[in-house]
Amino acid sequence: MNVLISGGSKNGKTAFAERAALALAGSASCGKRYYVATMIPYDDEDRKRVELHIEERAGLGFTTLEIARNIASALDLVKEDGADPAASTFLVDSTTALLLNEMYPGDYSAPADPMAAERCRRGLAGLARGAGNAVFVSDYIYSDAARYDDFTERYRADLASIDRALAEICDTVIELSCGLAVVHKGGLPQ
Amino acid sequence: MDLIIGGAYQGKLDCARRTFGVRDEDIFTCTETDSIAFGSRCINRLEEFTLHCVRQNEENRNEALDAAELFRRNRESWRDSVLICADIFCGVVPLGADMRAWREMTGRLCAYLASEADTVTRVFCGLEQRLK
Repeated sequence: MNVLISGGSKNGKTAFAERAALALAGSASCGKRYYVATMIPYDDEDRKRVELHIEERAGLGFTTLEIARNIASALDLVKEDGADPAASTFLVDSTTALLLNEMYPGDYSAPADPMAAERCRRGLAGLARGAGNAVFVSDYIYSDAARYDDFTERYRADLASIDRALAEICDTVIELSCGLAVVHKGGLPQ
Repeated sequence: MDLIIGGAYQGKLDCARRTFGVRDEDIFTCTETDSIAFGSRCINRLEEFTLHCVRQNEENRNEALDAAELFRRNRESWRDSVLICADIFCGVVPLGADMRAWREMTGRLCAYLASEADTVTRVFCGLEQRLK
């Protein structure tokens, strides 16, 4: 089963995604759990957030995979680990960071790669196909009153295209608000 | 009238086509610089029309344009239309007075249109949620 979780920031998407992944892993004999962390920490603030997330999921039985780009390579890493991806549950947190990393494969002074969103869509779909279960976390950044520069607009449009592609292939699509689920498609993972 | 709302890039126009039978030639797309065509079968990007009103008001302080009021006055022309507006209401209060006026006018327009609408649909990641 594949699940997309989105919503505003600080609404408990990661915590909800962890519970969803555990429920899926428990129910469908997809026992191995992988937390696919896509963010590259750049400063102390990032590193602190990463540490906090690691602490919060301690004891939940996730193996952490740090994959900043080429998200479907998670399947190969799991095979190298001696496990079967089709019998594993993946939590990808988040598509937002993945897109940013794919846009800048080198350093940030180079222009953004125009193929980044397409690579993300393909990679995420590949992961969804090869995984026993996959839970994807994205960010809803589309409802503020602002006129952004071209780069930011492009990023929003690209992320939305990834969200919509995932929404189409996922069995369940959930919007989180205050840690509570608004189900837009399918049923809650249990 | 059918009202479709949702954040940027969520697939509101696709929803108009899929669910309300809107064809490309039915669509009037508002812009910041031009006036609106009330009689259109489908009016897209109402948030650009409200921004147009805000810009006009910046230039001409004597006669304040209000989008909801203009819609009220032209009610007969859009009663059977499909109207599409972006949800721009979830960010922090904008620093610029023009963006605040824009958000306010758009919000009031959406509330009025939602009260008049036969259906209100919110689009999220391409998926439709019927609010009314």
